[in-house]
Amino acid sequence: MSTNSGYVVEKPLVKGNHTFSSITALVADIVEKPTPLWWYIAFGISNLLLGLLFAMLAYLIWEGTGVWGLNNTVAWGWAIINFVWWVGIGHAGTLISAILYLFRQGWRTAINRFAEAMTIFAVMCAGIFPAVHVGRIWVIYWIFPLPNQMQMWPNFNSPLLWDVFAVSTYFTVSLLFWYVGLVPDFATLRDRVKSKLGAKIYGFFALGWTGGNRQWQHYEKSYLLLAGLATPLVLSVHTIVSFDFAVSIIPGWHTTIFPPYFVAGAIFSGFAMVMTLMLIARKIYGLEDIMTDDHMEKMNIIILVTGWMVGFAYIMEFFIAWYGGVEYEKFAFVNRAFGPYAWAYWIMMFCNVVAPNFFWFKKMRRSVAVSFVLSIVVNIGMWFERFVITVTSLAQDFIPGSWAYYSPTWVDVLTYVGTFGLFFTNFLLFLRFMPMVAIAEIKMVLPQADPHYYDEDGNEPEPVEQIEESK
Amino acid sequence: MSKTAEKTYWRSLQELSESKVYQEYAKQEFPDGAGELKDGYSRRNFLQIMGASIALAGFTACRKPVQKLLPYTRQPEHVVAGIPLTYASTFPFIDSGIGVLVTTNEGRPTKIEGNPDHPSSKGATNLMMQASILDLYDVDRSKNPKESGEARTWDDFVAFCNSHFADTNKRIAFVSEASSSPTFNRLKDQALSRFPNAKWATWEPTGNANVYSGTQMAFGRKLRPVHHFENAKVVVSLDHDFMNTNGDNVADNVDFASARRVSSTESEINRLYVVENSMSLTGSNADHRLRIKASEMPAFIAALASKLSENVSGLSAFSGVNNDFSQHSWVSVLAEELRQNGGSSILAVGQGYAPELHATVAAINAAIGNAGETVTYHDVPFVDDSYSNEAFVSLCNELSSGEFDTLVIVGGNPVYNAPADLNFAQIMERIPVSIHLANHVDETSKLATWHVNRSHFLEYWGDATSYTGVRSVIQPTILPLYGGKSEIEFLAAVVTGENHEGYDLVQDTWSNVISGDFTNGWNEIVHDGLQKDSGFDEVNVSIGNLSGVAENISGMTAAGEFELVIKPDSKLFDGRFANNGWLQELPDPVTKITWDNVALMSPATARKLGVEDKKFGVTDFDMISISVNGTEMEMVAWILPGHADDSITTTFGYGRTAVGRVADDMGKNTYLLRSTTNMLYHTGAEVRKIRGTYPIACTQNHNQMEGRPIVREATLAEYRETPDFAPAKVYVPARQEDGHSINLHSTQTFPDYQPQWGMAIDLNACTGCGVCTIACQAENNIPVIGKREVVRNREMHWIRTDRYFNGDEENPQVVHQPIPCMHCEQAPCELVCPVAATTHSDDGLNQMTYNQCVGTRYCSNNCPFKVRRFNFFNYAKNWLEIDEDPDVIQMAMNPDVSIRFRGVMEKCTYCVQRISRAKIETKNRTGNSIKPEDGSVVTACQQACPTQAITFGDITDPESVISRTKANERNYVMLEEINVRPRTSYLAKLRNPNSQLV
Repeated sequence: MSTNSGYVVEKPLVKGNHTFSSITALVADIVEKPTPLWWYIAFGISNLLLGLLFAMLAYLIWEGTGVWGLNNTVAWGWAIINFVWWVGIGHAGTLISAILYLFRQGWRTAINRFAEAMTIFAVMCAGIFPAVHVGRIWVIYWIFPLPNQMQMWPNFNSPLLWDVFAVSTYFTVSLLFWYVGLVPDFATLRDRVKSKLGAKIYGFFALGWTGGNRQWQHYEKSYLLLAGLATPLVLSVHTIVSFDFAVSIIPGWHTTIFPPYFVAGAIFSGFAMVMTLMLIARKIYGLEDIMTDDHMEKMNIIILVTGWMVGFAYIMEFFIAWYGGVEYEKFAFVNRAFGPYAWAYWIMMFCNVVAPNFFWFKKMRRSVAVSFVLSIVVNIGMWFERFVITVTSLAQDFIPGSWAYYSPTWVDVLTYVGTFGLFFTNFLLFLRFMPMVAIAEIKMVLPQADPHYYDEDGNEPEPVEQIEESK
Repeated sequence: MSKTAEKTYWRSLQELSESKVYQEYAKQEFPDGAGELKDGYSRRNFLQIMGASIALAGFTACRKPVQKLLPYTRQPEHVVAGIPLTYASTFPFIDSGIGVLVTTNEGRPTKIEGNPDHPSSKGATNLMMQASILDLYDVDRSKNPKESGEARTWDDFVAFCNSHFADTNKRIAFVSEASSSPTFNRLKDQALSRFPNAKWATWEPTGNANVYSGTQMAFGRKLRPVHHFENAKVVVSLDHDFMNTNGDNVADNVDFASARRVSSTESEINRLYVVENSMSLTGSNADHRLRIKASEMPAFIAALASKLSENVSGLSAFSGVNNDFSQHSWVSVLAEELRQNGGSSILAVGQGYAPELHATVAAINAAIGNAGETVTYHDVPFVDDSYSNEAFVSLCNELSSGEFDTLVIVGGNPVYNAPADLNFAQIMERIPVSIHLANHVDETSKLATWHVNRSHFLEYWGDATSYTGVRSVIQPTILPLYGGKSEIEFLAAVVTGENHEGYDLVQDTWSNVISGDFTNGWNEIVHDGLQKDSGFDEVNVSIGNLSGVAENISGMTAAGEFELVIKPDSKLFDGRFANNGWLQELPDPVTKITWDNVALMSPATARKLGVEDKKFGVTDFDMISISVNGTEMEMVAWILPGHADDSITTTFGYGRTAVGRVADDMGKNTYLLRSTTNMLYHTGAEVRKIRGTYPIACTQNHNQMEGRPIVREATLAEYRETPDFAPAKVYVPARQEDGHSINLHSTQTFPDYQPQWGMAIDLNACTGCGVCTIACQAENNIPVIGKREVVRNREMHWIRTDRYFNGDEENPQVVHQPIPCMHCEQAPCELVCPVAATTHSDDGLNQMTYNQCVGTRYCSNNCPFKVRRFNFFNYAKNWLEIDEDPDVIQMAMNPDVSIRFRGVMEKCTYCVQRISRAKIETKNRTGNSIKPEDGSVVTACQQACPTQAITFGDITDPESVISRTKANERNYVMLEEINVRPRTSYLAKLRNPNSQLV
């Protein structure tokens, strides 16, 4: 970097004076080194939880939906809450990898790979619920527009059908996007791993990548196209998920504010989840040079902004309930705050609206401990947001005579716990066998990637140890 | 002996009718032609048959194992597969019978409706009648006679009777249920004359014994008061629950509703006053209701009689009575109302109250001129001295002191339901020989020497007399499933020592009744279900000397802080219907509790005892301990608005220990708290809250309307001033402003198709009794899901009745609202189903296609009325395949309605099977029209409703009843503002308050 003064000097995205090769070593070594003990322990626990999930789903399918705590009045409970929550978490990955890519936010390269992995695994967790929550899973294929001899055709008016298309499209595009990004890194691993089998497998997925100029051109174009394709999906998926509620006529669901509010909430919770995972991963794998405190701060700013978007929606819902003058809607919202489920509402308000305000302070934004705790608090809050929306609206709707209280059963709870087993089993496999940072992309934001990095004589500039923190 | 082997099914209608030809046919091992060679033995035909046999033997290898059905060898007359047949019969209930029509499908009775020609039902039904179809198929019914627990046959029992009762000097005690059957009473007389040392007592835990004793005190003879509600302008019920637990409740409801019906602002309606301690169904429908303790009722009645004695003659015995109620505003208001409406008012007091109170009430009715007008008194020939509580108590005392050597119990269950201080179980253990006829091997049968299994009224020939004395025949519609015997067959065996068929016994009785040609007369009676122009003789009454009565009443004073009142249950009655899943799972009309009895108390009493008002969603409730006369019982405390303070009310009929899988261990047996001296209420009960809670399955968790216009009501005066008060409660621009479109887009048009079905429910007629729910359950094969599932709010009823309180919790007003599917024209459920399993039909039905449903439950979420019901488990299978008896309850199912599998949604269909049947009939008749005549489609709820609150029909026909009903100014739809356009509308409720009490 030139020593010209007078320019605003951007802080380097990667710290520690890494070279191309040291970056490669840093990331690829994780995969190549022997599996650490903690990984086996964590994987074992995740597998147990995954087994729990399978057991709960088998029990559910064998016995019937009645093993959950649902009733006539509240016919959707934890399953739908968990579905929306997991889908929401997924959104951060796509936002980071696609939207930030289009906006040329170089800092995304440090976290995009595992944020995308998180997206895919979260959508897998989410996808379980709409499938298993139906009464007759063995005929679930009827919701697909498959030509059949039974003269059946799905009802395209139903938001649940839109959901099917939205989520499956989203999953497919996310998976493709993730995989395309992985191709150059698979090639790197193919060339580095010592085991023949490993080289073969990585080689298979590397699709014959050699790093040639033409390949890079194609790669960049396809990556850009996929980013463009994924970008509207970030908005559309949660919009359509919100339609499950907004299209209905139940007070508390029937709200036009839902699409933007759900998307903001999804990004909010997704960034919080990325934060949680990033802080653990960078500590364990010593990736502080790549995932720096600057990354943390940027993400915390997004959490603060989206948190307030969500908070604004909460307040706006109340205003509209009053301003709209519909007594049922008014009741629904006042009842959320002061009714039988008030405890859930205030947990939500605290976690989503109060807690992120710590991030107004730079010190807090850059504190690992605060970021870690708040990232978990936010996701608890976002789970409760879905609980509040789904359950309180149904439990006390139009006709007071049919009001009913909903509480989950042990099956509801353990199924939810089990989905973490699925998520972490996948995530641990990802950490172990795939490059968790986009090696190729991170190199693009190294100072060395700047064509003006070397002076006219081809000498490297003096190594700069560390740029001081701006006060 | 295995249970399944003992079951007796009829194989065809010939067997059912027991024709001689059929019996011979069935006895032959092979049918004609199969058993022998017709042309003698010849080589040729021997080879023919051998060849055919070998060829056929070969074919057997080619087939799957076959389950053989037995088809009709000859088509029985009238039976067409798929077309139900209807028979007239009679539902015997305590000491009266109610005319019914029994629908049978291929020989299985599947539904009971009221007999429109019979004055006791007028086409309507009550809960017990609707549910009795399920009692028939109760898998827990006793399947054979038993001697000391060992299985015997009926022939063994007859042989036993023959030898045991040969000595006519035996000291035999008979205890029977009350019966209105002429044959029964003929055999009873025969028994008493054949066994000179025998004694007879009739025991009913609740019944009219005190009423008869009361009329004896007032008029000198045991008479039955019949209330003519249709002629009464003022009805004063002193804890007389005529809408629910009274023997004549069907006719009472029909008649009361007819005086309550409002067609225009010109209509006059009656006024109902209720004075009671607990909130009964009748009390919940009152225009004015006063809550007093049950133990204060004597004083109240005395004060009322005293007040009336100032103006009318005949009540002088009460003049000058001065008690706590003498200055009560209600006493003067009621006295004024009754006096002014002499001859067009009704005063009645609850059956359980002391005879003296019945005597006073009878005297008042006579004094103000009601007797012979709105209250007629009838001489009931079979009511004798054996039918009183005293007769039963003294018989029990004699039994205890060993004065009898044989005890014959004809029906009933005294070990369970006799007052606890009689210790009937001990009597049963002491008596050398005891014989009990019962449906189940119940608490009494367990202790009896002989148990004889009883048949259901749909299985035997019998007869009955209605409340007003109309004689009718009980016609069986199926052979006894378990070979049971009716009480007349049982009694005949005891009396004669021989087997007599019920058919012959009944005909013997009726041969004296029918004048003219017997066969013709008999056939006519069996066909019509009644003997026309029969009835009890009306008696002109004159008031006797009441000074003794007045003195006794003044001695009835309350002591102690708390009183305990025990009443018959609104569903299980006295416990005889306990093993009926439909009734157990029906929400109580007032408390909405299923599967349990509780201790009801007022909010103030609850606060006094420290019983908490539970928060929304809590299903475990506080317990209290109640002790009377040294017996302690732990019960769930239930806070009921409108209950009298310091009074605890509970119901009997629960806490069975030996009846069957449905009823055993459900609720508490409160008979243990009942004693001979305190049959209705105990004063001086000790009540305290105890630790611990108990889960209660209550189907309604919120009891206020929250100011929402769900049920709309007005007083009669308000209605006359603003006839359209009900629809005007909600501001709908399209209706209230010219030129304002109801829809942002073009007004949606509906198929130009006739008919278009619609329903209207008159909330002014509806009493909230719940018959519609049971009728719907019977018609639509709705499973019973059990208490645990109801606790989770998963009840399956397609039509529910919501009950709301309003006003203050001490004296609330109550409204009842039946809610079936609204069949919205713009149904929100249809929009959201991803697989199009719920759609609209051309004739305006919101249809549910069970086969296409995947069970997302989105439709239920999006239903503003929450009428959809989801099969969270395989309820139908669990219900229809109880343990080792898989096929019995299935026989109760309506073959026109599919059974729903787990994971699918279901809901009210407007009885689409009945609509289809009517359409088919119309098409067959006319050749091209599928528009049934008005009134030919009657939904199950509509048909059963005793107040005719439900109207149904084609709304495109301006002349149809439904169109005219919907044209009433009181017509409104719920949630009109969300524009789902329900097809089910309501007619607003009206009240007729007395300005002096407002």
